[in-house]
Amino acid sequence: MSLESVIFAVLGIVAVSGGIVTVFARDVSRMAMGLGAFLVAVAGFFVYWGATFLGIVQLFVYIGGVLVLMIFAIMLVHRSPDGSPTIESRHDVAAIAVAGGLFFMVVTALRGVVPDSVDQGITSGPAELNEAFLGPMLTHFEMGGVLLLAVLVAVVVILGGDER
Amino acid sequence: MSLLVITIGLFSLGLYGILIRRDLVAILASIEVMLGSATLLLVGLAAAGTPMGTHEGAVEATGVMVIVLAAAEAAIGLALVISVARRFKTTRVDELAEVKG
Repeated sequence: MSLESVIFAVLGIVAVSGGIVTVFARDVSRMAMGLGAFLVAVAGFFVYWGATFLGIVQLFVYIGGVLVLMIFAIMLVHRSPDGSPTIESRHDVAAIAVAGGLFFMVVTALRGVVPDSVDQGITSGPAELNEAFLGPMLTHFEMGGVLLLAVLVAVVVILGGDER
Repeated sequence: MSLLVITIGLFSLGLYGILIRRDLVAILASIEVMLGSATLLLVGLAAAGTPMGTHEGAVEATGVMVIVLAAAEAAIGLALVISVARRFKTTRVDELAEVKG
């Protein structure tokens, strides 16, 4: 077993374990920790495949931004004076059927398209990313900026609307 | 094949979380799992040598755009969750059955 397959297996186990904890944990703090483990594993995959810049962006934006935002929201919303807060789940056969059906459908459909091994890696770096954003993907870049500005205004309106 | 099973498995897991969870924050966390797995499949396909557009940096640029979209979605979603929790004193979707226009 090569080092590459060991790294892939470890990252895969961490990602799947984090996803399972995120979906099944009853305690909100454990759920946030599971989501953090999942996001770190995804960033690890990016770095492992050669997309180092994307891995750093994933760490900064997701773990440094989204996860911290989510923990703040949990602290604001889930205030229970007696014991640790719990989240309820309602497991049923229909949900398992929908999720399992989607899994088998997509895996069957994409089995011939997705290669067996991820061995080539991503050769482009920040320089190529810069050329893409300032060249053919300039519209995407500008639209991303406009979207973030709109989100900023929307968040202020949503949260400030309660005080009026 | 292992890449496909891991990413689609995580995507289905996130979908299952959306269907079974009864708390808005937990549903948002499940959506983040789905978005993360989709980005993982996109970058994994590019790393496996699948052609992704004409430009060399297109994959990383698309990945950055997906991360930006996910951050925007999380910001709006969490703002809505806090607003709902302030107004209705709960974040359980069972108790939020009434919608006023």
